[in-house]
Amino acid sequence: MPAIETRNLTKRYGKDVYAVNDLSLTVEEGEVFGFLGPNGAGKSTTIDVLLDYIRPTSGSATVLGYDAQREAEEIHDRIGILPDGYSLYDRLTGREHVEFAIDMQGVEDDPDRILDRVGLDPTAANRPAGGYSKGMSQRLALGMALVGDPDLLILDEPSSGLDPDGIRDIREITRQHAEDGGTVFFSSHILSQVEAVCDRVGILNRGRLVAEDSIEGLREALGTGATIALTVDSPPTGLTVEGLDGVSDATVEENLVRATCTDPTAKIAVIDRVRDAGSAILDIEISESSLEELFAEYTHPDEPAPEVAPATEASPEANR
Amino acid sequence: MSWRVIARREFDDSVRSRLLWGLVAVVAVMMAVTSIVPLAIPAMDASALMGLGAASEFAAMLVPIVALVAAYLAIAGERESGSLRLLLGLEPTRRRVVLGKFLGRGAVVAVGLAIGFVLASALSWVVYGGLPVGAFLAVLALTVGLGISFVGIAVGISAATPTRARAMTLGIASYLGLALLWDLLPQGAHLVVEGSPPGGSVPAWFLLLEGLSPSGAYSALVTRALSGADPALPGPEALLGGPVPVFLEWWVFVLVLVAWTVVPLLGGYWVFERADLN
Repeated sequence: MPAIETRNLTKRYGKDVYAVNDLSLTVEEGEVFGFLGPNGAGKSTTIDVLLDYIRPTSGSATVLGYDAQREAEEIHDRIGILPDGYSLYDRLTGREHVEFAIDMQGVEDDPDRILDRVGLDPTAANRPAGGYSKGMSQRLALGMALVGDPDLLILDEPSSGLDPDGIRDIREITRQHAEDGGTVFFSSHILSQVEAVCDRVGILNRGRLVAEDSIEGLREALGTGATIALTVDSPPTGLTVEGLDGVSDATVEENLVRATCTDPTAKIAVIDRVRDAGSAILDIEISESSLEELFAEYTHPDEPAPEVAPATEASPEANR
Repeated sequence: MSWRVIARREFDDSVRSRLLWGLVAVVAVMMAVTSIVPLAIPAMDASALMGLGAASEFAAMLVPIVALVAAYLAIAGERESGSLRLLLGLEPTRRRVVLGKFLGRGAVVAVGLAIGFVLASALSWVVYGGLPVGAFLAVLALTVGLGISFVGIAVGISAATPTRARAMTLGIASYLGLALLWDLLPQGAHLVVEGSPPGGSVPAWFLLLEGLSPSGAYSALVTRALSGADPALPGPEALLGGPVPVFLEWWVFVLVLVAWTVVPLLGGYWVFERADLN
């Protein structure tokens, strides 16, 4: 039985605005599935249908074998969700939020265990959530999702607003959940945040599934990766970087050497080559290609990629 | 049992946000002041019962606005802020969410009105040197009933509207229509049918029409409770100048109050159940 299955799922607003268009997607039990797409691609709409927040125009969706619309109750007893565009109760403390989730689910769980797992320290947990930063809110909401040991975690843009520590914690929790045999459905608009944890990804663009593959398969198919930019004291002479394995593109402009690496390990090789060519490296800057860039590669392979966005900066999805 | 958890959270939150205490203060002060108004009218032989009557007349207008304010954001507020997305993640059955919200806010309004009313009556007891306990308890229960009715209306509105602004618009409209302007309906009908505004005695249909709004039903029931306690105060017989037809029996107005609680709540739930919440 698949953990999540949608068949020809369509959500149309008005006459011809398709938020999700004929989406057929299968997420197997026990896998970590990355649900990727630029802002406004329809990721949250899809998740909202799975959670029965909105109703599909046509098609169907099942979660853990239950119909998302008719058997929402059974589904919600077995899943934990971190929705997009939520807010907390300003006057409840973090701890009370977790206790509320425990009471609502009617389960036995230890708030301290949950709070500790998502890295919310006791002082913060005893303060009203109205004063929380985005990162603390995300941690708390994730904690609420973990209440009752769900079989399936649905995380909609879990990394948004989190600092690198928080992003690492999310990754850790995701991995742990998968090791315990759980399934994770992880939506994001930033590739680097899912590539570290996901077994498989699906890419959504304009409401349609445009790719479904493993990360490696995807990178290979798209031929892009991280860009490494080296500032050197003098232009390297006789540099041949392009022949390197895992390097798809390289340019030298004055004291700046740029190379696009499809294989992460190729970055070191590029550095070695530049040094061998007699240049001293003054600065190194690495930026992961954003998903938007991958899309550009995917849909307009001839055009130059747009401005490279640093991968660690997660901007909240602005599609609602 | 998650509706109970929701209801309890609503109540706790009203204590924390001081909504409950604000409600108690407003009700206590306003009702206390109006209950001693009869003393200020020299021609009247003021009694505690008359004080109760004056307070309840004012309550017919005060309680609706208090209950609407206390409950109109119950669901729409959470929907606009986004906390509803977490709440529905914990309880996807929208029926239970609406039920929990109604019971929670209903309890807040009931407790607030009861405490406020008791405090106001304490003053009344001191000023008039006594309190007719039976009539006092009856009016207290009716006031709470009127409050619950408007909580039903407010939660119904809140369930049916996606934003705070729209919930407020509908809340104000329902207050104007049901509490302030409803009386124009029987008055106008009387003018049309009888050719004159209502005078000394009125036809039975006039009293029925007057009592079909929640505040009207409340007033009709208070009139019966007070004249039951002191036959000197005018009851429906005196107003009609004759026997009371069956459609003006007290239970008719109880049904009106119950209908005003349940119908808007079900209507709001019906819309909420079918809404896309994003």
